[in-house]
Amino acid sequence: MSFTRSFPTFAIVFASAYAVLYVISIEYNLALFTYHPATEEFYFLVKPASDQPAMFWYGWLATSVLGALAIAGLVARLPEKFASRISSGWSWIVPLAVMLVFVYILRGYFTK
Amino acid sequence: MIVVLLILHALLAVTLLGAITHQALSVWLPARTQAESFVARMRAVTPASYANAIVVLYLATATLGAVIYPSYRINVRIVLEQLQLYAANGAFELKEHFVAVGLGMLPAYWYFWRRPLAPDHARTRAVLTAVLAFVVWWSFIVGHLLNNIRGFET
Repeated sequence: MSFTRSFPTFAIVFASAYAVLYVISIEYNLALFTYHPATEEFYFLVKPASDQPAMFWYGWLATSVLGALAIAGLVARLPEKFASRISSGWSWIVPLAVMLVFVYILRGYFTK
Repeated sequence: MIVVLLILHALLAVTLLGAITHQALSVWLPARTQAESFVARMRAVTPASYANAIVVLYLATATLGAVIYPSYRINVRIVLEQLQLYAANGAFELKEHFVAVGLGMLPAYWYFWRRPLAPDHARTRAVLTAVLAFVVWWSFIVGHLLNNIRGFET
């Protein structure tokens, strides 16, 4: 498994898997950790706060990165006959679709 | 301190905006004749030479944005909610998610802009550049507008 053969597959799958996992992490609040900015404290997994805002964004990023690394790493190890079928277009089609999903999810902010 | 970081974040964003705009223009609207005017010279750059700088600037700008994000969450967003500025709030929500999605595209973006450029992936390069350019422009404009509405220490 050389860099030039496996990295493009890894990069394409990572872009797609990361985008999908990111939107799933947000929809189901699968943050790997939570940050409470007023007290500057980190908590493992999701921990809402009653007296301050809780920030899940960093945790969503961490969940998505770890998940996408695992998926892309596995796919990059598949035999070349499978990996070569993955079009480079997926590296932008899925992220672009996820961006449109966010526009739909957040449309309420712009229609109030 | 947070104002210094905010200004540094903005300066990095300006640099990133310039680099990705040059690259996007040179990919989508390449100069066909000898570049003489200001606009033609903007379109006549060698786009591949910007790729590494764009990756580094994107990571640096996003990292700095993540560092100052808690201050935004406490000092700005709550005020936006109290003032019922829903569109401004939603624009920032989109910004954070677009930037996050853009982060995941960086490995592919970097790979497909590696020299020698593969002709088979010209469209992928062009679209990845366009999507990242949109993310950067959206983020820059939203950040600028929100800073105008309420800076961190006003």
